[in-house]
Amino acid sequence: MFRYIVNRVLWLPVLLLIISFITFALGVYGPGDPVQQLLGQRSDPETVARIRRELGLDRPLLVQYADYVGRALRGDFGESITVARGQPVAKLIARGLWVSIQLNAVAVALGVVVGVPLGVLAAIRRNTLLDYVTTAGVVMGISLPSFLTAPILLWLLSYKVRLLPPGGWDGLFSRSVILPAIVLGAGPVAVFARQTRANLIEVLDQDYVRTARAKGLPEVLILGRHALRNALIPLITIFGLMLGGLVTGAFITETIFGIPGIGRLGFRAFSARDYPILTALTLLIAVSYTLANLLVDVLYAFVDPRIRYE
Amino acid sequence: MNDTSRNWFWLAAGVAAACAVLFLCVVAVGAVTVFFGGNNEEVTSSPPGETRPTKVTEPRDGAPPRAGEGGVLRIPGADPPTLDPALASDATSAEYIVELFSGLVTLSPDDLSVQPDIAERWDISDDGTVYTFSLRQDVTFANGKPVTAEDFKYTIERACDPKTQSPVAHTYLGDIVGCRDKLAGQVDSVEGVRVVDEYTLEITIDAPKVYFLAKLTYPTAFVVDRETVEQGGRTWATENPNGTGPFKLERYAFGEELILVPNERYYGEPKPALERVIYSLAGGSIMTRYETDELDMVPVGLADIERVLDPSDPLNQDLVEVETLSLGYLGLNNDQPPFDDPEVRKAFTMALDRERLARVVMRETVQPAHGILPPGLPGYSPDVRGYEYDPQAAQEALANSSYGGPEELPDITIHVPGRGGAPPQTVEAIVEMWRRNLGVEVAIEQTEWATFLFDINKTPNPYQIYDIGWIADYPDPQNFLEILFSCESQDNHLGYCNPEVDELLKQAAVEQDQQKRFELYNRAEELILRDAPIVPLWYGKEFWLVKPWVKDMRFPSAIVPRLKYVRVER
Repeated sequence: MFRYIVNRVLWLPVLLLIISFITFALGVYGPGDPVQQLLGQRSDPETVARIRRELGLDRPLLVQYADYVGRALRGDFGESITVARGQPVAKLIARGLWVSIQLNAVAVALGVVVGVPLGVLAAIRRNTLLDYVTTAGVVMGISLPSFLTAPILLWLLSYKVRLLPPGGWDGLFSRSVILPAIVLGAGPVAVFARQTRANLIEVLDQDYVRTARAKGLPEVLILGRHALRNALIPLITIFGLMLGGLVTGAFITETIFGIPGIGRLGFRAFSARDYPILTALTLLIAVSYTLANLLVDVLYAFVDPRIRYE
Repeated sequence: MNDTSRNWFWLAAGVAAACAVLFLCVVAVGAVTVFFGGNNEEVTSSPPGETRPTKVTEPRDGAPPRAGEGGVLRIPGADPPTLDPALASDATSAEYIVELFSGLVTLSPDDLSVQPDIAERWDISDDGTVYTFSLRQDVTFANGKPVTAEDFKYTIERACDPKTQSPVAHTYLGDIVGCRDKLAGQVDSVEGVRVVDEYTLEITIDAPKVYFLAKLTYPTAFVVDRETVEQGGRTWATENPNGTGPFKLERYAFGEELILVPNERYYGEPKPALERVIYSLAGGSIMTRYETDELDMVPVGLADIERVLDPSDPLNQDLVEVETLSLGYLGLNNDQPPFDDPEVRKAFTMALDRERLARVVMRETVQPAHGILPPGLPGYSPDVRGYEYDPQAAQEALANSSYGGPEELPDITIHVPGRGGAPPQTVEAIVEMWRRNLGVEVAIEQTEWATFLFDINKTPNPYQIYDIGWIADYPDPQNFLEILFSCESQDNHLGYCNPEVDELLKQAAVEQDQQKRFELYNRAEELILRDAPIVPLWYGKEFWLVKPWVKDMRFPSAIVPRLKYVRVER
């Protein structure tokens, strides 16, 4: 087990090198150029060449990349080129990251707190109206894209009813969190509800549940002590991956609600070809998903005795 | 423990561990954020600020307010890519910079004429190349340090230093003798800037160019404090700009807000009345926030325009319509067949009914264009008109072309900047008009802006037709005609070159008599229109909603300081 974890962790730097190299190469060879973005329509070749030289963008790919890795190892992820000229990327991302993590944590928490009980209810009241309504809600929660739900909720709750502020960010414990949290939480709620329902239904059909019923155990005990425990194990995967997703930022939702997280930062960096920001964001997301996956695997080994990593 | 309860135990432990990790991450990142991000330094851009002269919201009455008593103005903005005057190349950055900094000269918000600012007067030598500026002696930076001619010399040399990485120094200061050499790394100082005495500055330019003064109204030439710049590191401007403008930067939080407060040492008139200006940088649904009274003014996007133009809508009361110094056009690339033939270009131009486009498709949110220079730009003449809508003549021109008719044309694609989804209705309407009036099928291709820009800057430009526009950098015909159409211009992506036009443009650039100069430009404009390298589509307009309690807000069609006039009376 220990060896397995060490193994996985040791692979991480290799993975990051590969990912950062691909991102870097895309930045160098892909269409669009940050310096041209700076100049807009007036991007005359002479000035572009001059600024590229000053920024070191005229060097060969491998030299630039080696330089980047060297700096990154010392914690220097470069400076923004177009979005906020001269600002250190690490600082820009650190600011946005904290906001995105808080917002996503609320969404995941909503998923667990609302989704799991919904799924349980739907499973034990299978094929009743309650089940149908939940299932329909789940399908909607999964299928409705945030660029649709966000404007509708904005119009309804913020403009028509004037219940909630239409955007901005005033910290985790403020009313401005509610709307984006609902939009972002719809997916997790639906995923948790659907998984819980499906797993629980499967478990309730198992022999040991029938045995428990035959012994005359009350339904509450059957559910709580026997069925639910086993039904919830697969949710760890989802939960873990969502933890990894905490740092990815919600590109669309953050942009619509004007939330200064890394989703909006990433969107702007992409539009303006701010490669130092994009590369750092990509690395961050890669690290976070890799660690989340590792965490899930390790948890599984503890939770499910049938799984052994050798 | 039996097996199931062991599972249960580990599951609980697992979830608890995950939550603990999550919590630790949150705490750690929080600490990092606090550590790194304690001060506010991100920059945003505001919507393009090009607006037309003398649109003023209802003036205030009674005695002028004392500084800081004029209320709080809350407006939407965007993170400025920079607040460093030497680096600003976009309307967003410029909008903030003109409030924080100032230069030798400025533009009048009423008629866009060049006005004295830190320079109280200037003399121009007889040959038109030496400008001697006499500076006001009562100007200080926000920290109280007096501004002298030496500061301007530093400012210009800094902007022309390749290390500064200014994207626009060659555009706005390149006429100054020595600036281009310094940009190229060939010399250390800019020869054309000379400090005569503490309050006299002499600038020599490479040829008599009447539009030179207008260029100095752009942020690139705005004075900066050497100490502030050298000690402030790369982010000095967003931390402590220490400028000479009517306002000071109080707070800047990237993606959140940017707050300006009056600069009590501001030398100009009037002194700013507002207590503070809060730019909300969150973006998002600014219309909703206007309707809930969280913002005092907002630009109206295309999606809301119809509703706002409806007189029965309550928002219509707040509407301000602003003409911009801008032209929307289609580039017909002379380097790409079939637009290498002027008859084909003529045909494509005459086949478009621009009146109808503006009226029906754009719902009169633009003004149809028949020339290149927009109304409101000095030198604009209503008599200069290109080809009118005439489907019959368009078909004849196509038949007379070397291609002989619609069947013989190669495949044609129009490139539109955009991010997917349906193409703009305007482009669909244009393509439909070509289909109907010429019998030509034109394909539409959307290209994301960064790639679009990348492509049109290739040599040769690979696009046959492309949908684009131009906004004045400074109010002078040279900024449109020479920049976009002269053979040598780096910004001419059209493959267009007419020596006769170039000759006129060269004469106009050095002509000292303003009236004669404008006539030369008008003749050049006529020639260009006859060659039809572009199809002028419309002159731009902007629509703003302004709450009735915002008094004296101006909407000039160039980016000039305007907030010092405003007060809010809620």
